[in-house]
Amino acid sequence: MSTSTPSNPPTQATSVAPAHSDHDDELVKVHWLDRVPGRGNPAAWPLGLAGALVLIAGTFLSWSYTSDVLGDLSVNFWPGGVQICMIVLGLVALVLLLAHRGPLAGLGAWLDTATSVRALGLGAVAYMLGALGTIAVKSGGIININPGGWISLVGALMLAASGLMLVSRQTKDPLFAKTSSWLEICTIIVLMALVLFGAAYALDVGDGASFVLFLLFVASVAWGLSKAGVFTWIGLISQKNRQVLMLGAFAVAFLFPFTQGGSDENMSIATQVLIFAATALGLNIVVGLAGLLDLGYIAFLGAGAYVGATLSASAFATIDWKPPFLIVVLLGACFSALLGLIIGSPTLRVSGDYLAIVTLAFGEIFRLTMGNLDGNNGPVLTNGPNGIPAIPDLNFFGFDFGQPHVIAGITLGRFANYYFLLLVIAAIIILVFTRLNNSRIGRGWVAIREDEKAAEAMGVNVFGLKLFAFAGGAFLAGMAGTVKAHHDVSVTPDQYIFLESAFLLAAVVLGGMGTVAGVLVGATILKLLPEKLRFVADYRLLIFGLVLVLMMRFRPEGLVASQRRKLEFHEDDEELAQRIEEVHLEEAEAKA
Amino acid sequence: MTEFLQQIVNGLTLGSLYALIAVGYTVVYGIVQLINFAHGEVFMIGAFGALATWTVLFKGQTGLWVLPIMVLGAVLVSVLTAVVMERIAYRPLRGAPRLAPLITAIGISVFLQEAVRLFYPGAKSKLSFPEIDVVTGPGIAVAGLNIQRAAVFTVGALLVSAALLWYFVNRTRLGQGMQAVSQDPDTAQLMGINVNRIIVIAFALGAALAAVGGVAQGLLNSNIDFRMGFLAGLKAFTAAVLGGIGNIQGAIVGGLVLGIAESMATQFIPGQFGGSAWKDVWAFVLLILVLVFRPQGLLGARVVDRA
Repeated sequence: MSTSTPSNPPTQATSVAPAHSDHDDELVKVHWLDRVPGRGNPAAWPLGLAGALVLIAGTFLSWSYTSDVLGDLSVNFWPGGVQICMIVLGLVALVLLLAHRGPLAGLGAWLDTATSVRALGLGAVAYMLGALGTIAVKSGGIININPGGWISLVGALMLAASGLMLVSRQTKDPLFAKTSSWLEICTIIVLMALVLFGAAYALDVGDGASFVLFLLFVASVAWGLSKAGVFTWIGLISQKNRQVLMLGAFAVAFLFPFTQGGSDENMSIATQVLIFAATALGLNIVVGLAGLLDLGYIAFLGAGAYVGATLSASAFATIDWKPPFLIVVLLGACFSALLGLIIGSPTLRVSGDYLAIVTLAFGEIFRLTMGNLDGNNGPVLTNGPNGIPAIPDLNFFGFDFGQPHVIAGITLGRFANYYFLLLVIAAIIILVFTRLNNSRIGRGWVAIREDEKAAEAMGVNVFGLKLFAFAGGAFLAGMAGTVKAHHDVSVTPDQYIFLESAFLLAAVVLGGMGTVAGVLVGATILKLLPEKLRFVADYRLLIFGLVLVLMMRFRPEGLVASQRRKLEFHEDDEELAQRIEEVHLEEAEAKA
Repeated sequence: MTEFLQQIVNGLTLGSLYALIAVGYTVVYGIVQLINFAHGEVFMIGAFGALATWTVLFKGQTGLWVLPIMVLGAVLVSVLTAVVMERIAYRPLRGAPRLAPLITAIGISVFLQEAVRLFYPGAKSKLSFPEIDVVTGPGIAVAGLNIQRAAVFTVGALLVSAALLWYFVNRTRLGQGMQAVSQDPDTAQLMGINVNRIIVIAFALGAALAAVGGVAQGLLNSNIDFRMGFLAGLKAFTAAVLGGIGNIQGAIVGGLVLGIAESMATQFIPGQFGGSAWKDVWAFVLLILVLVFRPQGLLGARVVDRA
């Protein structure tokens, strides 16, 4: 099939109203939404424009009579954070509508604007209902909702109605869009800036309700844009400009502490997210690339942490040798890798479910052993259940991690120091991951994952590669563990229970196996949500279990799925297979 | 010598408990090749079902006649949980890559634990299990050995359950259908066997035995808590693997062997690495050794090689 000139679109256009078979529930739902009466009504477009404008206009008026709900929404012509979200959503909808018909129609040919406006409209309605509901509940009655809120709700409803009635007029696939590289780089930079800003904003949001609303806002906009096909294009340009993307991502991550103004509370959450993400990325090598299900991975993090703790200057450390930290990091990583080899070499002969159980048993053995080596039930090494407390902060050549430092007038506290160190470690892990993924080794792993016997027949060194995945993953986790020991100040066995391994695995699965971005998203969600959703703290695990089940049922490939993975879970979807082939060809061309 | 026999008795008790749970793993695995990781939670819910039955219907009663009704309540709750779980979570995933059902199972396991912790009144801490005449109380002394009354119940429950199970599998139409499905589901379906129904029955069967185990555990320890399913489930899985997963007799033998091995390790491993602090470690070491060196188990089963 010939690839990629924008001038032969009709053959490559995606069909607008997908006529899929009914094995995918999501598509069935689209079907149902497509059957709304009044589709194609010429009034839809002006209705949508009016809706977006009304929505925006409403945000400039007061939403709430009292000033203590969701920030302060009671002042006219001074929109609060919750209202600004709706302004942004309204503006995005406006641009899409103008692309649908009007001055930006050239752009509209590339985007599925109708479906996108529908997603935005429905999202806006949900958001407004949530916001007004919160106001009504928290301030004691619907009476406290001011006209601005109602106006915005009406605007959102109009937008949703318009979206339901609009018929897509997309004719070209954004996959084949040819754009100039400065535009692509600008897009990436803007995107990164948005991520930085959004993350800083999300962390600053104080109360749970505002946070949930913000998530709803982000989800609606992301849903809308992905329906429009913007993400297809972004995925392609980020493949083309990978260096820019990586640099941008690290710049964002590096700049993040400077947006916090020395607030240790948020930085503490951010460092926890980073530790978790770094470990999950290591696990992603084992599970995502090599396909070896490891349910005891937390033990490797624990092994690193225990090495870091026993070789630290803590008064409770049981080994008198105090080497410099760089050596401790290496020792911790190597010790972890050694454990990986020990558990790996015999057990890799079993595969699949059995391996999962063996690793689970290994994780439990590690935890129990650490709890037992207290002098009563074994040699004194770990102080048993009490663990090793009072681990001092790191000190690199006189740079004390425990002290705040002032750079360019901005105070960076203790957690910010660890944040930078962890960022370096995460960068190393990501680098290892991507380089391995694109190497002979990575291809070998994928081959093993897909079909072990076939891989072996093709001359892939199955045993060696599996062992390498195991030991390599353990090495990276051990490295992160040594830093974690100093960051956490104390190391105890109950930090390394099975549930933590399950969480790590969930981060990998939730985000999307085998992708870096997916795991970062998954780790952030899993660590950030419990911190911000204190009001559901008790139901946290219940929700976690439920999400895991639902995820496997409805989107087993994860939020940010690698295309190949997606196909694995939807084997009989011919259209998807063809689409993936197109994407691959297009990416190969982009790289060349 | 007395010490040795005492450990055998303790081991048999513990082993019977493992065997009751292990049958559930093995039956389900034999038919759908799925490690139902949430089976330990089904066992836990059985214990809570028995406690709930007692609290609602017979609070304050200690007569032995209460026990069968408690067991019935436990079985009902467990079977319901298992069947709903199969229908909602596992059935849609049949034919999906191996990873999917396993992760679902972890999700269900966490969900069930939390559901019990949050919604069963008072379950956030340990709950005491009722004392029942005859089966709880001071131990029976036989030839210098101390035999817990609940231990007699546990071993007895295993014997009765095993006999019923044997009858069901070998002498009833449904049981033969089950054997057929475990040998070749496609052919069985062509022969007119309702495979979905057989799978549901497999889940229910395992759940019923686990529920009996839950009651036994409650009587043995005289308290239950929402976490009891995790470790017990893992040990029972070890037992199932030990005996050869997919093999029902194997699960029972494996359970007994594991129980005895654990008691012996507690008593007879010398020095600091013996004692009850390390018994779980030795059980898991045994699991790893068996999986590595004899994955088909003691009694043998199909060698499983599924990625």
